[in-house]
Amino acid sequence: MHELGVMIEVVNYVEDFAKKNGLTKIDTLVLQIGELSAIIPRYIEACYPAAIDGTMLENTKLKIEVLPANAICRECSKVFNVVQNNKICPRCGNEKWELLCGKEFLIKEIIAC
Amino acid sequence: MNTFKIIEIKESVFANNDRQASLLREELKKRKTFLLNLMSSPGSGKTTTVLKTIEALKDEMKIGVMEADIDSDVDASLVSKTGVKVIQLHTGGMCHLDAYMTKQGLDELEIEGLDLVILENVGNLVCPAEFDTGASKSVMILSVPEGDDKPLKYPLMFSVVDILLINKIDAMSIFDFNIEKVKERVKKINPNIKVIPISAKTGEGFDEWINWLREEVKSWKK
Repeated sequence: MHELGVMIEVVNYVEDFAKKNGLTKIDTLVLQIGELSAIIPRYIEACYPAAIDGTMLENTKLKIEVLPANAICRECSKVFNVVQNNKICPRCGNEKWELLCGKEFLIKEIIAC
Repeated sequence: MNTFKIIEIKESVFANNDRQASLLREELKKRKTFLLNLMSSPGSGKTTTVLKTIEALKDEMKIGVMEADIDSDVDASLVSKTGVKVIQLHTGGMCHLDAYMTKQGLDELEIEGLDLVILENVGNLVCPAEFDTGASKSVMILSVPEGDDKPLKYPLMFSVVDILLINKIDAMSIFDFNIEKVKERVKKINPNIKVIPISAKTGEGFDEWINWLREEVKSWKK
């Protein structure tokens, strides 16, 4: 369970960003989490109230967008989801592929003024 | 009245840790201190391996140790008996160390004049692999009783380390552990990995491990 520690980092970063950019009120925080990242969206949601307690982000909404674990096959160049296809290219059966996305953990944007 | 608008940030949270880790590595290089990040499951023999490593090297270099655990100081008190500088880090429930925590630990340890610092990471094959600590090199221990299927189950850990120590080889006859299978599975994930079978109990294989570490510490100072 490392989501809380990671979220506190996120909150610090956003507070800092808001101060630097002269923002006074934040309404929503939008995160992007890859399917293969070590971060579990459900746990992030669960620990969000604790992470924002007493910060500038208190009372803000959290939105999470999940990014798919997509890879490109090294043999036939098909792009496919590695989780759904059990790490095997559905077109040619090859196990050699390159991950295109799915490991991200990004602070995408905030809705603020 | 102010209106809310969408402000793009596009900041990777892990990239932040990677940046801190790179800065820490640069600082360690300047200060000529080699940081070894040691990772494994609980009970694989990390502390016994650390103790034997200290015994082998303490007359030729200055060593410090950081023990990271959720709780207790049993490891730190064991290591402190060897006479080297040691601190215990409590992660307070966190399952891994990140670069920031590592930096805090190093500051507390006071690394001035130390040639080698061994970071005994939290016993866990999952999250410590995700976070760069800023270490010069990373090593993992897989012990024979854990089984030869671990590279299949925890591939990320095996992909981020420079050395794999296979510990408890003195117990090989009791377990169904195929060392060749491990090597084959590990090389598939990480072609550059060096595999050294050891026994922290009998000292078997330690010459190769200690030689590697000694050379790495030396070349870090160049």
